[in-house]
Amino acid sequence: MSYKVTEEGNITTIHLDGEIDMDVTEAAKEKIFPHIDAGKVVHLNLSNVQYMDSSGISVLIESHQKALEKNTKVIIKDVSKSVLKVIMMAKLEQILNLE
Amino acid sequence: MSEITQVNHTEKKAFLVKSSSLKEVRIFCRDVFAKLQIDQGLKDELVLAIAEAAQNIVKHAYKDSPNQDELMVVKISCEGNKLEIAFYDMGTPVDPKKVKHREIDNVKPGGLGTFFIQEIMDAVEFKDGKKPWINHLVLTKQL
Repeated sequence: MSYKVTEEGNITTIHLDGEIDMDVTEAAKEKIFPHIDAGKVVHLNLSNVQYMDSSGISVLIESHQKALEKNTKVIIKDVSKSVLKVIMMAKLEQILNLE
Repeated sequence: MSEITQVNHTEKKAFLVKSSSLKEVRIFCRDVFAKLQIDQGLKDELVLAIAEAAQNIVKHAYKDSPNQDELMVVKISCEGNKLEIAFYDMGTPVDPKKVKHREIDNVKPGGLGTFFIQEIMDAVEFKDGKKPWINHLVLTKQL
């Protein structure tokens, strides 16, 4: 997994790239959580993530819940068809902020 | 429903029981499913189910005695339209009664891997492992 972070005002955009599985979830959290903790609105761009398993889905849930605690939000953007299928299988399309 | 041109096919491969092997498991599965000419949508689902089962072995079967040299074997067999995926490991014996996913409406991190496996596959069965194996999980799917 690789990543790129850009910041503009109160919005942090994190582009993740590659496959998100158990082996990289801790690294993904390390990239995402500090921005949520800082109260930023996080745009998580998943256009280049073609595979995500239950561990990756847990990162999305944890990020969403952490953002609610911090009175901010995580918006998942440009999700690929294959990852959207997994999100929908987990019945999370109405829970997570998808754009 | 996929059209299978190669009706009888079996491949198996051993992997070290560690999280970095999960990518190798997926590569192995994609390679086998490409030979079986399984369509992309079903292939993605099957790869997810297999990777989740392998992840469960990495997370749970060896949690009490982590050993970097332990192996798990994934065997994919296709006979006619029946696809069978078998997993063998030598970790802590699994009690099938304790293998449950979380309530899907109780949104929280974790507990989804088993749910995905059950959603994707037709049957999930824990069989008695024959020596030297301790656990023998079999997933089946009618193609």
